[in-house]
Amino acid sequence: MTDPYKTIVVTGVGVVSPYGIGLDCLQTGMLSGKCCLERTKDEVYPGFEGTIAQVRSLPPLAGYSSPQYSRTDQLAVMAAQNAMASSGCERSALLDGGIVMASTLGGLTEIDTSIAKDPAAWYRRPGGLLRAASYPFAHVADAMGEHFGIRGPRCAISVACASGAMAIALAANMLLDEAAPIVLAGGCDPLCPFTLSGFNSLQALDPNPCSPFDQNRKGTNLGEGSAVLILETLAGATARNANVLAVLRGWAMTNDAFHPTAPQKEGSGLVDCIRLCMGMAEVSVDDVGYVNAHGTGTPLNDSAEAQAYETAFRGRKLPIPVSSTKSYFGHCLGAAGALEAAITIMAIRSGALIPTLRLTHPIESPGVDWLRGEVKRPPLPLAMSASSGFGGSNTVLIFESGLS
Amino acid sequence: MTSHLPSVTITGIGSVSPHGPLAGLIPLSPLEPTAISAWATPGPRRAFLVPPFRPADVVPGVKTRRLDRLSVWALIASALAIKDAEIDLSQVDRSRVAVVFATAFGCVELTEAFYLSAAANGWNGTDPITFPETLASAPTSHVAMFHSLRGPNITVSNKYFSGESAMIQAAGLLRHGQADLAIVLAGDALARTLYSWYEEADLLSPACYNLDRTPEADGFIPSEGVAALVMESSACGDVHSKAHSEARSRTRSYARMSSGRWAAGGQPAEIIGRMLGGSDPRLIICSGNGAPCANSPTAGLAREIVGEGAIVIPAQSFAQGLAGTGALFHLILGLSSMPSSKPGSSSASGQALLLGTARDNGFAAMLLELP
Repeated sequence: MTDPYKTIVVTGVGVVSPYGIGLDCLQTGMLSGKCCLERTKDEVYPGFEGTIAQVRSLPPLAGYSSPQYSRTDQLAVMAAQNAMASSGCERSALLDGGIVMASTLGGLTEIDTSIAKDPAAWYRRPGGLLRAASYPFAHVADAMGEHFGIRGPRCAISVACASGAMAIALAANMLLDEAAPIVLAGGCDPLCPFTLSGFNSLQALDPNPCSPFDQNRKGTNLGEGSAVLILETLAGATARNANVLAVLRGWAMTNDAFHPTAPQKEGSGLVDCIRLCMGMAEVSVDDVGYVNAHGTGTPLNDSAEAQAYETAFRGRKLPIPVSSTKSYFGHCLGAAGALEAAITIMAIRSGALIPTLRLTHPIESPGVDWLRGEVKRPPLPLAMSASSGFGGSNTVLIFESGLS
Repeated sequence: MTSHLPSVTITGIGSVSPHGPLAGLIPLSPLEPTAISAWATPGPRRAFLVPPFRPADVVPGVKTRRLDRLSVWALIASALAIKDAEIDLSQVDRSRVAVVFATAFGCVELTEAFYLSAAANGWNGTDPITFPETLASAPTSHVAMFHSLRGPNITVSNKYFSGESAMIQAAGLLRHGQADLAIVLAGDALARTLYSWYEEADLLSPACYNLDRTPEADGFIPSEGVAALVMESSACGDVHSKAHSEARSRTRSYARMSSGRWAAGGQPAEIIGRMLGGSDPRLIICSGNGAPCANSPTAGLAREIVGEGAIVIPAQSFAQGLAGTGALFHLILGLSSMPSSKPGSSSASGQALLLGTARDNGFAAMLLELP
C-alpha cells in the first residue's frame, strides 16, 4: 500500500533548452526529429570550430540585469519559473520549500582569462566584484531562492555530468527527512569557453553532430539549458490539490571509484546503481519500459554504458529500449540529468519513446533495443533515466506515470 | 530531519589545517595567521595557511601529483579520519560507503592555472590533464578512487552552511539505508584570486596586514584546510546497516547526531525549538560567521532557544575564515575545547547544539549527544 508520506511525486516540470522555454516546445521539437546541434565557428571563443547547441533567445528576466547574476543563474530561475507556471504552483506554496540545484560551472561564464593575470585589476572593473560573487556554484541555489523568496533549506551540488539527476535524488531524500514540504530540484549549465575548451583539450568532442551508441561515434557535443522539477510527497501534493505528473519510484547513487574521467570499462558502477534503484522502486527488469541513457557519444562512455545495460537487464524477456537524447541538443553537463529526467517524464506521460538520432550502426548489444528511426509508442508505465559523470559518479532515477 | 529517525555516530576525525595534518581532535594551541608567500602581494599579507607537508609521509602510498591542493587535503583528511575511526576498509562493504564533500570555491588553484594557460596559449591550447582537476567534485572523486569507495559521491555547497548541509545530507543517506558509513568532508584552499577578491571587497581584518594585530581584531582572516568526519549508521531496519552496525558495535564515539536543520530563512528559534522537541542542550558550539560569538546573533539565538544557563563555546577565528565550509572545524574545535576532550569522559557528556546563523537570517542547527 502506498504511504503518502514516503511517496515522492513530481508536480511541476520546467525546462529551458535549445528548443526554447517549456516542456511542450521540447516535446514538439524532439517528436518532429528536429536537431538543435549546429556547426559554429568562433562563437563561444575565438578559434573554436565545432558543433554545439545554444539557447539563443533567453528573454530578459526582471531584476537580473545586475552582474551578480550569471547566465547560469538566469537559466536556473527561468526553468523554475516555467515549472511553477506550468504546474500552477503559487509562490506561497514554496515559501518554506527547499532548493537543490546542480551546476558544474556556477558563474564561470562571467569570468575571463585576465582574472588570472591580475585579479585585483579584474575586480576593479565595473561590476567586477559583483560578477565574482556569482562564481561559487552555491550561488545558483541562492539566486533562485532570493528570486522567489524561498526560505527553506537550500544547497547546490556539483557532481560533474551526473549533477542534475543527483539533485533530484537528494531532493527526494530531503522530503523523506521532512526537511522541507516541497523542493525545487534540477540542474543548469550554459555554454562557456572554460568547459568547451576543456572538453576540446580532452579530444572528447565530435566536430560534427554526435552519434551516441553508434559504432562510429567520435565524441560528444556540448549544449546548454536547465530543468527544474517540483517535488513533494504525495501527502503534500494531495493536501494542496496539486496535479501529479509522475511518481519518482526510485533513486540511487553510486561511484565507479575508477578514474578521473573514464568510466569503469564494464560499467560496473552504473550496473550497481541501476540495481539499487530497481530495488528501491521494487520493480523487476521486465517492468522498466525505457531507459533514457547518459549516451554522450564518446567511445569510452557508450561502450561501458552498453555493457552496463546488458548486465543490469539480463534476464529480461525482451531487449530493453534505450536511447540517448543528447543526439538532439548535446550534452548540457550539470543540466543534463535534470533535462533527461524531464524527457523521461515526458515519455511516460506521452507514451512516446524518442529515438537516438544518427544511430546507423549501433553497438552490438543483444540485450538492448537501441531506439532509432521512428518514434515508438508502446505502453510505458515505468521509465528510467541514467546519468554518469567525470569522477565516476552515477545516478539513476525511475519514474512512473501514475500511482500504482 | 526528524528526531524519530535513528541517530548516526561520529566515529572518526581527520583534518588538514594550519595545525598540519592530524587524526582525531585538534590540540588547542594559539594560532596566528602566517605570511603569504605563494604569490606576490603588494605588501605583507597574512592568512591562516596550511603548512607545507609531504602527503606520502602522512599517508603512505598516496599519489598527489598534479592534483589541486584541495584534492590532496581531502585525500589526507579522509585517510586520517578513517584511521582515527579504526576502520579496516578491507572488512567493509565499500559499495556502502558514501563520500560527501562541502566546498565553497572548489579547486580554485587549478582553475586559476587553467585560466593562465588559456591566457598564454588561447582557449585552444589548454591543458587536458588540468581540466578535470578543476571540477569542484574532483576532491570527492579522488577520495572515492583512493579508498575504492563505491557508494554515493556528492559535492555540495551552500553560501553559509555548506559543512552543516553535508553532514545533514550524509546522515540522510545513512538513515535511509543508502549507505552504512559516510566520509564527510568540508573545506577550501586559498588562492591568489580568492584572497584578492576578499581584499578588493574590503572584507579583510586589519590582522591580515598588520603583524601586531591579533586574530581577535575585527574582520575576516581567510583560512584554508579540510576537515573530515567518519559518520556511521546506528541500527537501521536495513539488513546492510544492521550488519554494519553490529560489526562496529564497540566503536568509540565522539558524538551522536540525532537531528539537524538548515534553512535560508524563517523563524530559527521556532524551527529549532520544534527540532529539539523536549531536548535541552546546555552546550552550544557556535559555527557562525563574523563577530565574536559572545555578542553575535548566534549567541543571541542560542539564549533564545535554551536560556541564559547554556555554556557557549565561541567560534574560532581559523574556522570562521573558512566561511561556509567551517562547520566541521567548528565542531572539532568545540569538542577539543570541552573541559575534558577525551571521548567518553563524563565531563564531556550531555547534549550539545552546533548552531550557526547568517546575516540574512539563515541558520543551521544540529543536536549532538555527547557520549
